[in-house]
Amino acid sequence: MKRALPVLVLSIAGLIPVWRHAPSHETAATSPTHAASSAPSAGSVVVAGTTVDTEKGRVQVEVTFRDRRITAVRMLRQPDHPQTTAAVPQLVEETLRAQSADIDTVSGATVTSDGYKKSLQAAIDVRRA
Amino acid sequence: MRRVEHVMGFPVSLRVDDPDVPEEAADAAFAWLREVDARFSPFRPGSEVSRLERGEVPRVSAELAEVLGLCEEYRVATGGAFDVRLPGRGLDPCAVVKGWSVQRAAGLLRAAGARRFCLNAGGDVVAAGGPWKVGVRHPEHAGRLCAVLRLTDGAVATSARYERGDHIVDGRTGLPATGLLSLTVVAPTLTEADAVATAAFAMGAEGVAWAAAREGCEVFAVDAGRRVLRTAGLPVAA
Repeated sequence: MKRALPVLVLSIAGLIPVWRHAPSHETAATSPTHAASSAPSAGSVVVAGTTVDTEKGRVQVEVTFRDRRITAVRMLRQPDHPQTTAAVPQLVEETLRAQSADIDTVSGATVTSDGYKKSLQAAIDVRRA
Repeated sequence: MRRVEHVMGFPVSLRVDDPDVPEEAADAAFAWLREVDARFSPFRPGSEVSRLERGEVPRVSAELAEVLGLCEEYRVATGGAFDVRLPGRGLDPCAVVKGWSVQRAAGLLRAAGARRFCLNAGGDVVAAGGPWKVGVRHPEHAGRLCAVLRLTDGAVATSARYERGDHIVDGRTGLPATGLLSLTVVAPTLTEADAVATAAFAMGAEGVAWAAAREGCEVFAVDAGRRVLRTAGLPVAA
């Protein structure tokens, strides 16, 4: 093996409750398990995600939305473990970037025509056609 | 220029930004992919692959010989985990044919003068003249991304269990590979990226380190425990 692979915890990505491609009627804090706190500024909504048990301990994130876009992610609870304390915020940051990026194309097997119709790639093809 | 056609059973999206590249260049690239489908699909009884399997091909074509050579190279490199001749199944070189043929299609576009283009064949991407931002599909949420890569010239391929389920078999055990949820390879060519992604996925968890050790390959993987593993040189978009 030519180099070491840093191990991060992806499951945090699933904690971010709203995706910007979601239909417009889906707004932040739709799930009763999410405790929405007060909006700090006009147009922004702050949502606390559910607490999730991971191998390294309990994790909870708080996400700030503005017009269904994620504008900030903050760790409310993270395991006190040297590996995750370093890795988890980095992944949250990465996921935040991934969701808000204006991408050109998508990698990930789109095998069927039905799968394609519903895919992000199809949305990109239509948008730029 | 933008085109989307369904070839080999998956959607192929092409975007060419050079204004002077004629539509005929895209026509030729898609015609090549359709030719590959007709010649190398194991699902078409009249294809060269099917005829070879039935012992009707005394001498394989140069292209099929090249594909079979690549298949053998990856079989040996993975200790048999990647195998296009699984017991009880016919010859199925699809995993190598896809990346190899799409890379060639990109070569046709380049030869026709295309400098800045992006060719996405069923989720496997050849990009040229970037920067291009390539999102990696989240393994558990079809509408989400788990990473965004930045590519100038190169290829990205992802093997995963979504959509087709457990369709990649570990040739060493004959059982579906279940050690990973998704594995993405960035490499100079799609021939390498696609074959390495499929081969590493067949190997399971150990395939991540195997792919990472390949010259020129960068890896982003999600294992069955939802952990993300990635190489230090992975070109993550800023």
